[in-house]
Amino acid sequence: MKDDRKVVIVPCSGIGKAYGTVSREAAYAVTLDLRPAESQLVALSLLVLGDDAARAAVSENLAITIDGCKLACATKMVKESGGTVAQEVAVLDVYRRYKQFKPQGIAELNEGGQQLAYAMAEEIAATVDALREGEERAADA
Amino acid sequence: MPELPKKKVGIVACSGEELAEGTVTRLAALKVLEQLRPGDTVTICLPLFLAGGEGDRAFARFYPTVAIDGCDKRCAARATEMYSAKPAASVVVTEIVAEAGLEKPVGLRRLNDAGQRAVDITSARVAGQVDSLLDRHWNRRTGAFTDESSTPAEAQTPVGATCSCGSGIPVQTVDVRGRGVTLVGLPLIFQQLHEAGRRPEESVTRDLLETVKIYNPIPSDAEADYARALLRDYAAYCAGQEVRP
Repeated sequence: MKDDRKVVIVPCSGIGKAYGTVSREAAYAVTLDLRPAESQLVALSLLVLGDDAARAAVSENLAITIDGCKLACATKMVKESGGTVAQEVAVLDVYRRYKQFKPQGIAELNEGGQQLAYAMAEEIAATVDALREGEERAADA
Repeated sequence: MPELPKKKVGIVACSGEELAEGTVTRLAALKVLEQLRPGDTVTICLPLFLAGGEGDRAFARFYPTVAIDGCDKRCAARATEMYSAKPAASVVVTEIVAEAGLEKPVGLRRLNDAGQRAVDITSARVAGQVDSLLDRHWNRRTGAFTDESSTPAEAQTPVGATCSCGSGIPVQTVDVRGRGVTLVGLPLIFQQLHEAGRRPEESVTRDLLETVKIYNPIPSDAEADYARALLRDYAAYCAGQEVRP
């Protein structure tokens, strides 16, 4: 993957459940803390509106979506916008593996929610690395 | 008349993840939903207008809606209008910040003081719009709503915000003079009338029409046609209920 290309991270905009906030926090943890140079946050609302720059970002880069519920708005919107979803992350699936981190609170996540978001972010960061390495190998071949 | 589905106001926030103002919209919406007007408001995630079903797209037709946007792209207001119905009111955080002379909100995850203040001002403004849309008028002198049937915000019990994700608004298409018209909330209205023991007779027509009009625009010159169609479909609904085991 060329250095100027980033893996796009698209969290859902879930506002009615704590899982939506976990999705948002995990996206921030990846794009601001763990892989700021290798990843890029794209706002779902811009995709809903059909914003050209947002659509270009998801259509020109690999995307990782993070969904807080089974309706999978982020995944559907990236596909709808012409993007390629390299990895779909469902907060509920990750939570099943980290039952000790029970998320609560929407406006403000509890400690468990923060820990779940960070655990998920570390997995996503590893996926970002793998995707970039895979594209580099493909480019070299 | 049966107990009607309570008229509520829909709140749609852009939640823009890449701007601190987007975080302001999210927190302001939650403050209205959980603290300021918990009994009068509901919300839906903006993407569901596209990613959801017909019931989700009916949201802004079922509820008069206030859109809360972080910037002048106005994703929430424009997308709501494109995919559901024109919002009844809207606010833009950057405009509110400028009007209030606040510093720029900073902090995607943790808002600075200006951002927190923007949340307070935005949520208060939206709460006022909710009251206006519900025809409620707050008397600052008495500290109460002038409409006695309303529940003062102070008397409302704070609750956790709940979304309409996945539940959608039930819709039904009726034939009005040969034209299919989709009416939001109709299955629920039929159900409530039936549970109230109302039979499909002429006497129920007015209540039926008035209830449907709460959530659907009906041209005044077509009310008689709608009334006939509604009564016919309500009779079919009742007949269907009676044959169920």
